[in-house]
Amino acid sequence: MFLARIDGTVTSTVKHQTLAGLRLLIGQRLEADGSPTGDPLILVDTFGARQGATVLVTTENEPLRNRVGNTTPARLLVAGLVDEVFQEAKA
Amino acid sequence: MRLGVVRGSVVLSLAVPELQGIRLAIVEPITRERLASGGNMGGGKPIVAADQLGAATGHIVGFVEGRTAASPFWPAKVPVDAYCALIADRLSYHGGTDDRFSSSVTAGKIKSPPRKASS
Repeated sequence: MFLARIDGTVTSTVKHQTLAGLRLLIGQRLEADGSPTGDPLILVDTFGARQGATVLVTTENEPLRNRVGNTTPARLLVAGLVDEVFQEAKA
Repeated sequence: MRLGVVRGSVVLSLAVPELQGIRLAIVEPITRERLASGGNMGGGKPIVAADQLGAATGHIVGFVEGRTAASPFWPAKVPVDAYCALIADRLSYHGGTDDRFSSSVTAGKIKSPPRKASS
């Protein structure tokens, strides 16, 4: 699991059938210091995460398979909305 | 799942039986910098992804990588580790602080990515 910031949304008509009706967001993975890392990711969201929000993303596809079936290719799911992050300051 | 631009396709003359009949697209991943700049999508290292949606050159797609890329073919076991899961109609992106754009992607292709000045 990792933290990501919501940077946008994706609208798509033609997609794998298991993705129908799912909310798809563009997320940016964050480093421990909050800086962005890696390419933008498409996340499945069931919580209604807002633009700019920090979310917890899981790469385990079990929850998605349970919801939409075993054949889904999607894996990145917003597993929670982050309230606060507590972290020791770097020495 | 990452964002990518379809750059072309691959046709095999010989293939393992499990791959026969599967369309293969060349997908160039979209980097954060390119997405933030609003145009000239791409920038990543191109990969070959299985495609069942009929994504054409220029289309913006969402592609998955890894084990779950073969899930759509279940229960068949195919040697696929990248798969086009969606063709994007529209991207709305407000990442970063100085680069913001909201772009219409008509029929999967970005038409005129307007670039707003940062406020």
